[in-house]
Amino acid sequence: MLAGRRRFRLEPYVEFAKRAIAREATYRFDVFTGLASFVIRVYLLRAVWVALYAHNAAPPGLPLHAIVTYSTIALLMGLLLDIDQTRALYERLNDGSIATDFMKPISVPLYFFADGTGEVLFHAALIVPGLLLALIFVHIDVPSAGVLAAFGVSFVLGYFVGFFLNFILNCTAFWTLEISAVQLIVTWLTDLLGGQLVPLVLFPAFLAPIMYALPFAAMFSTPLLIYVGAIGPDRYLEVMGVQAFWIVVLGGVATVLWRAGARRVVVQGG
Amino acid sequence: MPIIETVLLRKVFRSIKREPGVRGALAALFSREYEEKTAVERVSFSLEPGEIVGYIGPNGAGKSTTIKMLTGILVPTSGTVRVAGLVPHEQREANAENIGVVFGQRSQLYWDLPLRESFELLRSIYDVPRDRYRANLAEFGELLDLGRFMDTPVRQLSLGERMRGDFAAAMLHDPKIVYLDEPTIGLDVVAKEAIRAFVARVNRERGTTVILTTHDLADVERLSRRIILIDEGTVIYDGALERLREEYGTHRTLVLTLAESYPEIAVEGAVVESREQNVVRLRFDRRTQSVEGLVLRVLEQYRVSDIAIVEPDIETIVRRLYLEGYGAPATVSP
Repeated sequence: MLAGRRRFRLEPYVEFAKRAIAREATYRFDVFTGLASFVIRVYLLRAVWVALYAHNAAPPGLPLHAIVTYSTIALLMGLLLDIDQTRALYERLNDGSIATDFMKPISVPLYFFADGTGEVLFHAALIVPGLLLALIFVHIDVPSAGVLAAFGVSFVLGYFVGFFLNFILNCTAFWTLEISAVQLIVTWLTDLLGGQLVPLVLFPAFLAPIMYALPFAAMFSTPLLIYVGAIGPDRYLEVMGVQAFWIVVLGGVATVLWRAGARRVVVQGG
Repeated sequence: MPIIETVLLRKVFRSIKREPGVRGALAALFSREYEEKTAVERVSFSLEPGEIVGYIGPNGAGKSTTIKMLTGILVPTSGTVRVAGLVPHEQREANAENIGVVFGQRSQLYWDLPLRESFELLRSIYDVPRDRYRANLAEFGELLDLGRFMDTPVRQLSLGERMRGDFAAAMLHDPKIVYLDEPTIGLDVVAKEAIRAFVARVNRERGTTVILTTHDLADVERLSRRIILIDEGTVIYDGALERLREEYGTHRTLVLTLAESYPEIAVEGAVVESREQNVVRLRFDRRTQSVEGLVLRVLEQYRVSDIAIVEPDIETIVRRLYLEGYGAPATVSP
């Protein structure tokens, strides 16, 4: 790429993101069903925790209002983090249209990143109505501005962990063309070991090493524990450092996989 | 100076060897045995700016593989490619700015977006100046009659509409070269003609170089004077369409409608190609037989109600070339 060194222009990627937002907006029915399913899950989870707490002693540091806040915020985060924003990579590999992407003067991975970010930004607009609807059924604790800011940073870090995880999964389609089984496993692992459904502190102690050896907790558990105050300011640097570690590791794996996959396409013709 | 030049281009694909059946499929999971398939071998040709060349060959002949190497998405096993001074697979993005691509089987438009939005997106991808973009869109919109469906999502367009959209999309950034891969496949006669007229005009007025791969030789006859024939990965003919017709289209067909029924038909200097009831097709070589002499002999022997002479179309000639062989590659510069 020596003589072909070109000036980088951000404009196309901003446009990709904008078109992704416009595209998502055309699926209005999905938006309503998504919100409805979110509210139902908020209500059901609250009912489960209320019932569980009525017959059991509350675990230390997690009174009922804290756990209801935890699970509601977890579901809100899920509105964004459960999106497979690089699914387009898998789809375009499967139908072969990735070839036309490579025939354009663009960086193809950046195209997928821009497209996915647009999709997520569209869904971010659902956070406010989602939150308002949730407040009909549940009460949510609101922490101080400082904690909220730390939560925000940790959430963004978690988003990148999720982005690279999805990108890696979709990259495997370069070799297998079929990824749904692997994806299902990862979704389950994220739900369980990421702390989206149940706070990881409630899990048996022997699972702890496994949970912290995997990247899933960096997506949900870390920002959530910051939000409910189970992780105090003295540990922010440490836990966000772990998140950053996972971003570097997964980002590295994603880069290696992408290069190998793209090489396979240009050598073997896909 | 040529705008496209390939020298001894070669592409070999390697795949895991696979025996038939379930056992073979399972064995292939663990097998490290590869088999190699040569898709393109010793392909050399060059194109001057502004040429339209038909790149013709049967399925699996290596047409698409060649086009992929020219667009930079496939790395040649050996040999060299240069397109507008660049090596496509080493300078993919820079090369992409010089080229436009239309695939009959695959759209580059964005499925969920209205046509207009796809164009707008392409404008920003190729950084087309606004006034240039507006002028092109106005011209192509008129030539291809895009007005009625500019605001329709691409997934709702008919094949003909989508193809017209794809042609406009490929030309919006004034590419120096366009690759058209089976561009008229599945289209009706009217749509085919509209697209051929569009390509002819863009080539004439903008000097765009065009490589056209197609099964429909009518596309080639309408658009290009030069064709490159490829079979089993190698170029078997590169030259003027006319010369192909003269050299290989040496046979004419005399179609007779007989006025009476005859048990057997035999005419000196001609071969009976087919006979359906009273219609007989006689093939003869125009270099050794005069039409006059042949017709006279026919009329001496039989009572005939109609006579017609059929020139071979390019399709028949190409089919004959593939079926009967062709000797040494007839390579001439255009």
